Amino acid sequence: MKKLTFFSIPVAYLLLYTLVILATGIWLFFLSQGLNGSAGISATLQKIITSPETKSLQNLVEVATPHLFAMGALIFVVAHFMLFSTKISQKNSLIVALLLFVLALLNIVSYGAISFGLVISGWIKLISMSLFVGMFLVLLGMVAFSL
Amino acid sequence: MKFLVTKDLAHSQLLAYLIAAVLTAILLYLGLDVVLHGYVIGFDMPAIHSTLFGNVETFEEPILIDSLLLQVHIDLFITIFVLLILSSVYIRLHDKTTTMKWVLHALFVSGLLAPLSLLLAYFWSEVFVSVWVVTFIVWHLLALIITASLFTRLNFR
Repeated sequence: MKKLTFFSIPVAYLLLYTLVILATGIWLFFLSQGLNGSAGISATLQKIITSPETKSLQNLVEVATPHLFAMGALIFVVAHFMLFSTKISQKNSLIVALLLFVLALLNIVSYGAISFGLVISGWIKLISMSLFVGMFLVLLGMVAFSL
Repeated sequence: MKFLVTKDLAHSQLLAYLIAAVLTAILLYLGLDVVLHGYVIGFDMPAIHSTLFGNVETFEEPILIDSLLLQVHIDLFITIFVLLILSSVYIRLHDKTTTMKWVLHALFVSGLLAPLSLLLAYFWSEVFVSVWVVTFIVWHLLALIITASLFTRLNFR
């Protein structure tokens, strides 16, 4: 990073907060799919693949609306710190950030494919969520490396 | 943050008024956030205990984990945005001292610990109820003091 001495403190905490936000988001999704004390993570994963919870259009909109804003804003805020990076090129930062925006959108709308009967299995949600989280971790790693 | 770091805008009157406006919004948010958490979690210790663990005498059920986790998830998101804005202005307008470094760490750590201690209290131990109360008050108070101190540093002409 360019000489930002004290500014590196909030940036570092942003990375930590983002990790926890991602973790609680995944946890919330699994809870909505029936994760509880009796059913473990593997049983919940199995259930999502074979018979994901049915969601109405209202449910989808209730989840999608805040996430469209929140994910977009969070990606923008984290990615804009790459402007200060002296270690990673702007071109690479742009590719990762734009990919992340696309994956975020895919992650948000993927459950719609299940609800509208385009796919029966919930694998599409699991794959899109994994790709989104994986790409976000790459961006977080890039910012951390640039600190 | 890019706008706050660049020196070109250091003497901009527009930026000074914009920062004053956003600080006013944050000030109002901090006050209402305390009220909101009072309503959702509880204003005193017995009420907080009833919310998190239920109450046998009044037949109160504990809060559902879905609801608590959603509150924590939202809290984390809003807190990081408030603290990022506040800390950026704070660093820009105050002298960079060791005290500032510790204040920043205390602000971010308490802001993170507050929502997490709610989950720790729910799953692990009632001790974390006190941790939540302390960290919640600490980060709100620190944010309040920093916000108030920033108004005096803005150069209005």
